Formats: sequence, structure tokens, C-alpha cells
Amino acid sequence: MPQSREALQEKRKNLSSWLLSLPTMIWLACFFLVPYLIVVFYSFLTPDIYDVKFEVSLEAYRQIFTDGYLQPFFLSFKLAIYTVLICLLLGFPVAYYMARASEKLKNTLLILIIIPFWTNLIIRIFSWRIFLSYSGVLNEALIGLGMISQPLEIMRTNLAVILVMVYVYLPYMILPLYSVLEKLDFTLLNAAMDLGANEVKAFFRVTLPLAVEGIFAGTLLVFIPALGAYLIPQLVGNQRSLYVGQVITYKVKNIPRNWPMASALSLTLLLMVAILLLIMYAIYRRHLARRHY
Amino acid sequence: MKPSRAKLFKGLNLTAFSLVMVFLYIPILILIVYSFNDSRIISGWQGFTLKYYAQLFSNPTIGEAFRNTMLIAGLSTLISTSLGIMAALGLENKRFKARGGLLALIYTPLVIPDILMGVSLALLFNFTRVNTGMVTVLIAHVTFCISYTVIVIQSRLEGFDYSLVEAAADLGARPHYIFWRIKFPLMLPGIIAAALLAFTLSIDDFIITFFTSGRGFDTLPIYVEGTIRRGTITTINALSTLMIGFTLFLVVITKRIRKILISAL
Repeated sequence: MPQSREALQEKRKNLSSWLLSLPTMIWLACFFLVPYLIVVFYSFLTPDIYDVKFEVSLEAYRQIFTDGYLQPFFLSFKLAIYTVLICLLLGFPVAYYMARASEKLKNTLLILIIIPFWTNLIIRIFSWRIFLSYSGVLNEALIGLGMISQPLEIMRTNLAVILVMVYVYLPYMILPLYSVLEKLDFTLLNAAMDLGANEVKAFFRVTLPLAVEGIFAGTLLVFIPALGAYLIPQLVGNQRSLYVGQVITYKVKNIPRNWPMASALSLTLLLMVAILLLIMYAIYRRHLARRHY
Repeated sequence: MKPSRAKLFKGLNLTAFSLVMVFLYIPILILIVYSFNDSRIISGWQGFTLKYYAQLFSNPTIGEAFRNTMLIAGLSTLISTSLGIMAALGLENKRFKARGGLLALIYTPLVIPDILMGVSLALLFNFTRVNTGMVTVLIAHVTFCISYTVIVIQSRLEGFDYSLVEAAADLGARPHYIFWRIKFPLMLPGIIAAALLAFTLSIDDFIITFFTSGRGFDTLPIYVEGTIRRGTITTINALSTLMIGFTLFLVVITKRIRKILISAL
């Protein structure tokens, strides 16, 4: 009977899929899912100097909402938003230029964007310290040119954090924008202009709506790491107003340790990301529903 | 064909592109120049020297951090790419019952900040009383690399030309022959791209390693951060320049790798 043979084949294919994916499933279950369950569990325990006491407590959550722990969340959120907006403003024209370049030039331009992206993160941050610090290159140059008399104190400010975050995450914005703009049919722009739209109007009515997917992808790729950043604020930021990533890290690394607090803060950050993703998804769905072409 | 009339933006875009290029490359160039600067602190140009490169090669701690980095990167690339190949082949079957669940498991780590994976793994190792060190770092690196390797290899399989496999089967080729002689070679660019991505991610990682490495097991980023914190930065410029050189070698000089990388984007 051919039907049962097909069913048998289907079963065998399913079995081989199971066997092939099982190692990855087990790995991610053990080292991705289970750790988060432990985070939830630890967030309800009592801290000890190096470890935790297995006594149930809601202290960590109470502290988050009463002891000024929300401040780092606001700061991280604010600077991450700034970073996304600047990346979008800078990244869009760059991606647009790349997408309209000749085929041969395109690859070179891509490589130019990718090289810094493939350079070690900590080195790129470190290079900004040389550039921005009190006796660094920027100050030396500006004083040498007679533009300023006192060195600018940019290092250890929120401005430095935003600058370095834009520097580090800009390729994450450019690459997805480039990949949608490259597929964009530019004759549509000419058509819009033939029908009387000026260049600015054509951009807002034709190019931008067609690039929405890239804008969403880029925004997420920049916003998520910017929100959870530790190394950038740690190396160039103002140490008097901490970032969420720094607070979480200190709770784990500094003695006395506070695992429950680190866990509760992590879950709060996770919740923020989840809410953001849901909002973005809802906006995206509405955008798709409104699109009739 | 009529040339585009979008003139205004064209000039604007070129300007933006040039500015961004300056922005992206100036710090790196300064870093390279300063690795030859004969000064112990961050300051103006004091004269040419190669002594920091000499110090770099005679420093045993840096040597050890370098070996640790390469060991972890090599092993985590091997493991995560192998797992990635298998999972991508498993996901090929669209009617696989656990497909949706597996995809969710693979994509979720990508939308969660790195630091949370670091904290959660640190907690896991604390809870299970495992001593942190090489093994825990390796586990962590494989965990964050898997998602990328599966996705890169799988995206290559999406556009796979199955008529080649069918033709081979019609001509009487056995399944394992078809796999190793036809399918695997066609998957290879995707596999190389995935492996390179995993390798770079592993070398680059600071935060997850910071949470999962014990005392006495430093990778290069961990060593560099510690050195910057202690303020003894003399060799870091030289070390950075060599690492940038390594990247340039990988991306620019090896033409084949470059082609694979571009096609994987």
C-alpha cells in the first residue's frame, strides 16, 4: 500500500529530524532555559556575603521599587533611545548611498563598514579613550589649533557613552537598512517624481515606507545591546550615575555579593526587553495591515 | 533609461557616508599610530618606539591569555558549528513536529541582552557548585554561538537546489554518497561563514566570559579590561594594533573568505 509507505517515510524523516536537533535542544535547555529558571528562583532568596541563604524573601523586589534602583533603568533606556535615533539618522543616508552604488563599489563599501565591526569590541572602546581623554588626541588637536584653551572633559560623561555606543552599534543599523534598500525598486521614486512629487515628498511617501523592515531590524539590533551595555559605560561613562548593566555586574562581582538583587534586576531588564518587543511587533503588524500593495 | 532625478539626496548621502567613514576609522588609526608612541600615559606624540611590541612578546600573561582565547574560540567554533549543521539539517524538514519550538529556542537568545546570559550562567554555576574556569567559559561560548551558526547554515539551506539531490538519487546514488558528495559541498560556504562568525564572536566576547571565568582563566578581552582598569596601558595599544591587523588579514587579504562573508550577509 503506497499510503502506508509514505506514512512510514514521514515517520522516518521526523525521527531523523529529532535525532539531528536533539543535541542543540538539550544544550539550549540546559544552558539557556534552566539558568533563567534559577534566576527566577534566586530573585526570591536572601543574600549572603558570598552566596545566598535559602530563605524566601521579597526584599530584592521591594528595593528595586523603593531604593533608587529604577534610576539606572531610566538612564540606560534614555541613552539607548538616543543611540538608536542617532544611528538611524546617520545610518540611513549611508545605507542609501551604499545601496545605490555600482555593483563593484558596493562590495568595497560593505567591507569598509564591516572591518570596524569585526575589530575587537574592547579595543574599539579603548581607542575612544585615547581620542577623548583629558590629554587625548582631540583635546591636543583643538588646543593646538587654538580653538579651545582648556581641555574639554568629554570622557566620563553620558555624551561619551552615546558617542561610543553609536560608534560600536552603527554597523548593526547600516547592514539591515542596506539589505532592504538594495532590493528597493528605485524606478518607483522616479515614477513618484514624474507624477509631481518633489524629492522630499517622494522620500517620505515611497522610500521610507518600503524600508520599514530594515528600520525595525536595525532598531532592535542597536537597542537591545545598548540597553544591556556594561563595557562602554564602564570604560567611558560617568561613574556617579550607573547603567543597569553596571549595577547588575557589581551585585555579582563585588563583595558583599547580592545574587537575589542581581537576579531581580536581570528579570526587570528582561521584562523591559519583552515589553519593547511586543510593542514593536504590534506596530509592525499594524504597518503590514495598512499596506495594500 | 532616464537618469534618476534624485540629486539632492545623492550629495547628502555621499557626505554622510564620508563622515561616517571618518568617524569609524579615526579612533582605530589613532590607536595604531599611538602603539608606536614613546609615552607611558595617554599624551601627545613623544617619538617613535617599538618597545611596546617587544614587551608584548615577552609578557607571559599576555601569551597565556592569547592561548586561552584561541583555545576557547577554536573549541567553541567546532562544537557550535557541528551542532549548527545538525540542527539546520533537522530544521530542513518543514513538517518536523518540534520545529517551531526549536526555532523559538534558537532565536530567543538573540533578542536578549548579552549580560543576562552572563548572569544566568554565573547563577547556574553557582547553584550547581561547579568551579568556574576553562570548561564553564567554553560552555558559555558554545551557548551564545549556537544561535548564530544554526541561523547562518539554515539560511543557506533555504535556497538549496534540491533538483541536484533528486538527480543523484534518480541516477542511483546512495543517501550517504549524496550527502557527502553533493549536499555537504554545497553547504560548505554557509558552514565556513558560520564558523568564522562563531570564531569572531568568541574572540570578541567580554561580558559573558567575565561572568563565567574564574580567577586564573583570562581571555584577551578580560586581560585587556583588567589592564585598562589598573591604568597600565602601555602594551594595550600594541596588542590592539596586532589584533586589528589580524582582522584586516582575515577580511581584506583573504579574498575567498571575503566573498563568503559578503554572500552570508
